[in-house]
Amino acid sequence: MLTMLEEVVLLAVDERTGNLRSTREFGTAYALVGAVFFDLALARKIDSDTEAIHIVDTTPTGNATLDRVLAEMARRPDLTTVRAWIEEIFHHRRDLEGEALASLIESGILRHEKSKLLWIIDVERFPMVNDRQQQHVTERLQRAVLSDEIPDTRDIMLLSIAEPCGLLTYVLTDDQIAARKERIRALSNLETISRKVTAAILGLDATMRQAMMKVV
Amino acid sequence: MIQVTEETRSGWHVVAVRGRADAEAADDLEGALSTAVAGHPKVAADLSNVDYISSAGIRAVLQAARAAQGRQSEFAVCGMSASVKKVFDMSGMHHLMRIHGELPC
Repeated sequence: MLTMLEEVVLLAVDERTGNLRSTREFGTAYALVGAVFFDLALARKIDSDTEAIHIVDTTPTGNATLDRVLAEMARRPDLTTVRAWIEEIFHHRRDLEGEALASLIESGILRHEKSKLLWIIDVERFPMVNDRQQQHVTERLQRAVLSDEIPDTRDIMLLSIAEPCGLLTYVLTDDQIAARKERIRALSNLETISRKVTAAILGLDATMRQAMMKVV
Repeated sequence: MIQVTEETRSGWHVVAVRGRADAEAADDLEGALSTAVAGHPKVAADLSNVDYISSAGIRAVLQAARAAQGRQSEFAVCGMSASVKKVFDMSGMHHLMRIHGELPC
């Protein structure tokens, strides 16, 4: 099974061009950071309640990326809020993306192509070798939103970051998203850690926008 | 750590849970509720002796509700303490499952 981090990267890959897409500045990066949290929560390594986030088990998961983040969290008891951790992990977003891409290439899902634009600028693309996994993630998100079934908790968590980070627009039309707005909101609100991660991402995004406005 | 006791009353299979429903207990909680749902058409999770529920505990209850929906059986959560009810209220769990103050049987 893919990690949620890998699933977020797969959602971001344009199946026609192999380019990594983002509907807005940092959208995919925020989703990567949120996905790491969810992977650790699903592995029962971290847990949260209405007050704080806790590390409950520091034994390795077997996934190098998750284990590095978990070890870093264990070394930093001063960071106790999801927002503080989101900000800390956000600095390592390139590593998260690179490691997830490497894993997907190794699994035979993507391949890596490098070329030059105007003979100068390096361009990287990640064309799909096997689109079965991307289809699977896409169908799970579509079903979570469009059906009236209770989705798997993993899909509820993925949906809760896909919507605010702009990834949902790759799997549903604007009309479908608008028609199911209430359901998306209700599902995203269901689970404590999803709520906290989404709120932290939105808070970080607001801070980044303010900082960029000051620079401009 | 949680303790689970089960009995059948007036057609409802009642799974009474005691303790903290956190990451450590989530597998046991999900296992107990899912097993009950697989074997009975009407299952009530009695949480009156649960004093704490974390994100992992909420996910365990959600998975059981999902399993019940898949089998077209009835699933209800009842008898919550004030602190657990607060978490359920914040989550809006009533949109997806039946929540009762008292046991339905």
